[in-house]
Amino acid sequence: MKVSFPYMGSAIVYKKLFEFLEHEVIMPPKPTQKTMDLGVKYSPEFACIPLKMVMGTYLEAIERGAKVLVTSGGHGPCRAGFYGDTHRNILKSLGYDDVELIIFDAPQDNWKAFWQNVQKVRNGLPWHKIINRMYTLYRFVQKLDELEKMVQKIRPYEINKGQTTQVWNEIQEKFDKIKTRKELYEVYEECKKMLLSIPTKEVDEKDRIRVGIVGEIYVVMESSINFGIEEILGNLGVEVERSLYLFEWINDNLVPWVLRPRRFKEIIKKGQRYIKILIGGHAVETVGHIVDFKERGFDGIVHLMPFACLPELVTQSLIPKISKELDIPILSLPIDEQTGKANMLTRIEAFIDLLRHRKKGKTKEVFVDELQQHAEEERVVMV
Amino acid sequence: MKSIYIGVDVGSVSTNVVAIDRDVNVLFKTYIRTNGQPIDSVKEGIRQLKESLGDVEVLGVGTTGSGRQLAGAILGADVIKNEITAHATATIHFVPDVRTIFEIGGQDSKIIIIKDQMVVDFAMNTVCAAGTGSFLDHQAERLKIPIEQFGDLALSAKNSVRIAGRCTVFAESDMIAKQQFGFSKAEIIRGLCDALVRNYLNNVGRGKNLEPPYVFQGGVAANRGIKAAFERELKSEIIVPEHFNVMGAIGSAILAKDYIEKNKVKTNFRGFDAADIEFTTSSFECKGCSNRCEVVRVAMEGKVIAMWGDRCGKWTNSL
Repeated sequence: MKVSFPYMGSAIVYKKLFEFLEHEVIMPPKPTQKTMDLGVKYSPEFACIPLKMVMGTYLEAIERGAKVLVTSGGHGPCRAGFYGDTHRNILKSLGYDDVELIIFDAPQDNWKAFWQNVQKVRNGLPWHKIINRMYTLYRFVQKLDELEKMVQKIRPYEINKGQTTQVWNEIQEKFDKIKTRKELYEVYEECKKMLLSIPTKEVDEKDRIRVGIVGEIYVVMESSINFGIEEILGNLGVEVERSLYLFEWINDNLVPWVLRPRRFKEIIKKGQRYIKILIGGHAVETVGHIVDFKERGFDGIVHLMPFACLPELVTQSLIPKISKELDIPILSLPIDEQTGKANMLTRIEAFIDLLRHRKKGKTKEVFVDELQQHAEEERVVMV
Repeated sequence: MKSIYIGVDVGSVSTNVVAIDRDVNVLFKTYIRTNGQPIDSVKEGIRQLKESLGDVEVLGVGTTGSGRQLAGAILGADVIKNEITAHATATIHFVPDVRTIFEIGGQDSKIIIIKDQMVVDFAMNTVCAAGTGSFLDHQAERLKIPIEQFGDLALSAKNSVRIAGRCTVFAESDMIAKQQFGFSKAEIIRGLCDALVRNYLNNVGRGKNLEPPYVFQGGVAANRGIKAAFERELKSEIIVPEHFNVMGAIGSAILAKDYIEKNKVKTNFRGFDAADIEFTTSSFECKGCSNRCEVVRVAMEGKVIAMWGDRCGKWTNSL
């Protein structure tokens, strides 16, 4: 089958999945202006940006020859659960009757449908082979995420601007070529060394700024739609961590409940301090992660939400309360099809100023002398 | 010869240029319509400054506003800062105990919350222009009233007409309907001022703890009708600082001053000749990777002096 999928985050993982299942993979392009134009043109106006971007991605993948599109579905009362059918209808109305859309909903919601989908993509491979390869993929995602987390901690302190991103791109290319588990571990070690050899400047623990990124999965994971916020923050000297990584998403959603790590439950529990019931999307997780980031000593939170995304709007309305109770600044950024960056940059820059001043204010008495020395850094001239 | 620090705030509607001395006395200020030509308006501002002050020694330059990078590249700025930090810096200087800043400009409106002279929270209008100067501009035009008379006319009204504030389109149709009912222009204008303030406090100030002293600045602060509407809504005095419409520029000048004084460095200012030099901006899509960044390039007499917009730093670092 000529298979493709939505592009989100480290898309090489999905590519690897279908390669392991011995399908012909049609790699969708990373979303660009063209993707957005296509998506906006053929989607309902009221829909949120993830639906539109995925629509655009599908059309580009089909243009490249894809016959089967595989995606995950929604869970709980968020419009995303309805998106698969919306996409299917739009494709049909455009005359792509020969394109199949396979939607994987969470297995516990409907085991039978899940099983049927598994049979479709299994490609007749023997089970032992599949299990073995899926385990390799599981580790593949884990290792890739580990490296990405390193990238996010190194980038703010790099001496040669842009080097970390460059190395990260090389790492992804290397991972793309991996075929076996043995190779995976070797490449992982090599990539780790590459990252550790990036020259960085020494920054004192008390001057480090850490920001957690939370929100709806697509805008959090896909840099082409969120203005590359991780890089923007990194270039402003800020360490970042996302609320969502693919490895954790797999653990939370695809690994059977009994084997699931306990962390997910903890996050949900933390979120339920503010949102008692599941209201769809990532609302409860978003809040749970805000609490978690605070507990782990982060300085601020950037909350990304697609414009008009209902679960995230609920979160946003809770944010003043959460921010006050937890004493942590939170910046909400609605994301839609606008490409003008100026407005967004202003907010982010001002937010980081706020975090830095806050941090220095608190430690004012103790570190007055050091403050003088760091005057240079304080007034960073940004380009 | 006077020693000055220059501050430039390039916004979508206006470009403001100020000069301050070492004690932050404002020696010069100008307010120019940007008209979509930020390079020309920055040059014009610098030219006016030179004409007005004569021979001066420039010790430092700061830029802010949505065009801060471009202005920074043209002038050789020492500090390029976002307008929220710049506005707060200036306001804290003039009103040291300020707690809440209302800043309403042409396209943007902001609320900045200050505690112990430190920005602790802020918000900007996101997807709505119903709380900005452009909204008023547009409605003034519709009613055929010069925007300068807008505020005084609003104050002359005895009653307010409730205008739907939700968004400019709703407001406009509601306004037309109310006109047909026979309400006077003054009443409708007062209604509009109330709607703008309501909108602004609901959208931008949502969930914020607003505490006095309140300072109101930005171009719209010239409008006495809006100031009165704020006072009615908050039941408190609203301070409009003397230099309300150039606070961003003053703030960036103060930041440049602080930076220069603290680090004892020389300014990068290109000199007043910058006003006569030809600058051109162009952009291209970088095809180096799938990000396809739109890279902005500023050239001074044909020579590229600044580039930005690339995520990887390939172009930014190539100079």
